Amino acid sequence: MAERRLPKFLAAAFKIKPGEARLALLLFAYFFLITAPYNIIKSLRDASYLEDIGPDFLPFAYASVIVVGLAVSLQARLQTRLSRRALLLGTLAVSVMANLVFWGLLRADHHWKGWVFLYWMWANVLVVALTTQFWILVNDLFNPREAKRLIGFFGSGGILGGVAGGLLTGFAAGWLKDAHDLLLVSAVLLVAAFLVVRRLVAGRRPAAGEDAAVGDEPASPHAAPAKVGFWDCARSVRQSRYLLLIAAVVLTTGIVSTLIDWQSKKLIAQASESAAWNLTSFFGFANSAFLVLAFLLQLVLTSRFIERFGIRIGLMIYPLALLLLSLGAVLMQGFAAETLTAGTAGLGVAIGLKGSDKALSYSISQSARELLYIPVVPELKYRAKIFIDMFLNRFSKALGGLVLILVFAFTGLSLTKAAAASLTPITEISPAQIAAGIVAMAFIALWIGFNVLLGRAYVREVRLQVAKKWERPDVIVSERMDVETAKLIVDALESRSQSPTLFALHLYDLARRKKLTPEVKSLLLPPPVELPPGAVPAVLESPGADDAALSPEMDQEIREVLALPSYQKLMGEYAEGVLEGRGGGDTAKMELAKAIGLMDRGSPLAGRLEEFLEDASPEVFQFAAQSAGRLKDRAFVPALVRRLADPLSRGDARAALEKYGESIVGTLSDFLADRSEGPGVRGPVASLLAGIGTAEAAEVLLDELSRGAGDLGAEIIDSLDRIRSRNPAIDFPEDSVKARLGDALDALGPVRAAADVLPVFRLLGLVYDHEDVFRAYQSLLKGTRDSVGYAVELLDQTLDPDLKSRLFPKLESLAPRGAAPESRT
Amino acid sequence: MVIEKREKNNVVIFDIEGEIRRSDITDVTLHQLVKDELELGRKQILLNFEKVDFIDSFGVGEILASYISTHNLGGKLKLARISKKLFLIFQVTMLTKVLDIFDEEDLALRSFLKE
Repeated sequence: MAERRLPKFLAAAFKIKPGEARLALLLFAYFFLITAPYNIIKSLRDASYLEDIGPDFLPFAYASVIVVGLAVSLQARLQTRLSRRALLLGTLAVSVMANLVFWGLLRADHHWKGWVFLYWMWANVLVVALTTQFWILVNDLFNPREAKRLIGFFGSGGILGGVAGGLLTGFAAGWLKDAHDLLLVSAVLLVAAFLVVRRLVAGRRPAAGEDAAVGDEPASPHAAPAKVGFWDCARSVRQSRYLLLIAAVVLTTGIVSTLIDWQSKKLIAQASESAAWNLTSFFGFANSAFLVLAFLLQLVLTSRFIERFGIRIGLMIYPLALLLLSLGAVLMQGFAAETLTAGTAGLGVAIGLKGSDKALSYSISQSARELLYIPVVPELKYRAKIFIDMFLNRFSKALGGLVLILVFAFTGLSLTKAAAASLTPITEISPAQIAAGIVAMAFIALWIGFNVLLGRAYVREVRLQVAKKWERPDVIVSERMDVETAKLIVDALESRSQSPTLFALHLYDLARRKKLTPEVKSLLLPPPVELPPGAVPAVLESPGADDAALSPEMDQEIREVLALPSYQKLMGEYAEGVLEGRGGGDTAKMELAKAIGLMDRGSPLAGRLEEFLEDASPEVFQFAAQSAGRLKDRAFVPALVRRLADPLSRGDARAALEKYGESIVGTLSDFLADRSEGPGVRGPVASLLAGIGTAEAAEVLLDELSRGAGDLGAEIIDSLDRIRSRNPAIDFPEDSVKARLGDALDALGPVRAAADVLPVFRLLGLVYDHEDVFRAYQSLLKGTRDSVGYAVELLDQTLDPDLKSRLFPKLESLAPRGAAPESRT
Repeated sequence: MVIEKREKNNVVIFDIEGEIRRSDITDVTLHQLVKDELELGRKQILLNFEKVDFIDSFGVGEILASYISTHNLGGKLKLARISKKLFLIFQVTMLTKVLDIFDEEDLALRSFLKE
């Protein structure tokens, strides 16, 4: 089907991207066409019940919704046996037929009151089935980021449908001889919904590797067990702490909503008794008004609010608003009863409570709650939604009804008397009404507590959806591999044919480090004909045996020999000859450079190491640098730093300087700040500071970054990230890092690949949870629609609003555009 | 430690027996014996370690001091039949680069003749 284009202003207002318009419009229409008939049905339901049965019997109607459990169970069974397509279309078809049946039953002049009670129950089943299926479809089709962006648009469709249905009811109830004829209109709307759903799911089959979320195949073909019934769904929820928290929130929300519904309906019935209104028309208009308010909230506020403040704050708005209004209602009912304006005040309370409940429930709360399911894996999500949304949501209303019955019992309200007597005037507020308000506030407090826990759990769940733990490869290598020993063994192998002395020095070095294991000895033992007699050091002559040659006593003896003045004098003369080129060549220099590392820092020969560090030969420098790293004489540092510019010697110089540790941070800082040193020196110095990894080293790097860093910005940011990776406990100054983040974001051009934003993520990792930030980055690198969506979602829960507003627009371009949302199904 | 002196082909040979260690210092040290010979004008000296069981850093110091004294007077001091352990110490300390070390006494004596 050709892609439809939305008017530009609409696409911009609802942030609909190219390729999403068709799907967005169909979902908008679908939601519209199920909420419009529902509002007709509901207005008729409420009016019929209050007129035919009475408000004090509402708790029984509320409690009756337990029957929804049966419908849920049936739906769960059908879901595993039918494709999503068949389920969606079948439910709509059954709804149309039920509408026609109740139209026939209720339009009779003296219909049985039991039909009204049955009609109430059916209306409850209808709304649960239709709305749950709609949201499951949304969850199937979009990742969290897309859903969060588009939910305002879909939600608006639902609210507009409700408003239209309510207005139609409000006007038509006054014109029609029998308001129940409106059921025919709702049947027509449901037929239209049927046609829209057919378009939505037409010809859709799961792409390779995707869940069969929508289409002709049963849902989740890979994971779906042969039978998933109601109890399977309940078990799935019980086994997940996160889903249990969602369930707890839904349960308390339902109880509170029921208590508020009764309070408002009781007041409305009292007012209606005095003024003889057409209740169907009143509920139609009231429901429309409430939904207009909800629509405005949804249109203007919901997406922006959730995007800016996140789901956690979004969850809090609804209960906090109801808490304040309930408190106001209790106080007003208590005081206003004695006044002349009590009737108006009572009706105002009723409309205020119900209006807030409806408006917030259908806008911010609904959107936030649906987003809570997004980090749940699809198989579990379907089961959880069946249990929570279709059963528990209804059960909570039943529980609300039972709470009300208990409130009546404690406040002495007799239902027998209530049935016999006419309603009291609205100015007579009963103790049951005040008690219901107080109990509602207690449940709201509990609800807020669950929301706090749920908000925290949500972040944990999103974190699980993104890439696994991020670890820098260079940090892994440095932490898990003994690179120095590996190099020493290679050096020893090379020296076998080069110099027996150098070979012996390497072996001794290995032995001192306790690395001369039998395996290493076997590796180093040369073939018998390779070396001349006497060239094989005694230490290797019995490979596999820890002979006396490696004893601590012998080690001590060698150290003592090296410290002998006679030795120093003799070898000093030898060294002079070698350095003056009077024999031995580079090999002799290498031997001496290596041997000096075994001596004390204060020995005369150690003082000559600087001359070896200046030697042009990289091999000589290699051993001199190793010795310098051992002796750690600060006099050697400048020679080592200068050698960083030489690619052949850089690694050795760096390894030696790292051995000095934090004692040379100041010297390195001078080199880093000195712009006359080329990037060949300053870059490795930055990396070296990262290797040292102390808070002081980090401060030096940040200072240099704040000075502009010349052309070293990326290297310095990488170095800071290394420090953070290795030492998570180091606190980086937040103000300074955020200022640098601002600079990095300003300098960031169009983002074509995740690697473009790597420096930004490295800076983010300095002041936010490093693991979360790089999990998100890994997901961006993965580059699929969902991985990018989850990455942004995780960052959404982590970063400050200001940073999000600057970073997210750049990240949105990383989601593959080739795959339009439709193709996901 | 017992040190016997003999002479062959104008080379003074010191046969050393036992252990050369700091704790067994005798009135006359190896270095003193070498210096005595140097004062007598005998500048070709061979130290035979065939019967040496142990030598510590003090013993190595005696050898080095003897070598330096001989070298300063233009003489030659060589070593023969040192243990594998002592050879390793000399290798690690690079003394093999400075000292003349031979597996056999005859080889050492022949090297004096060549010079």
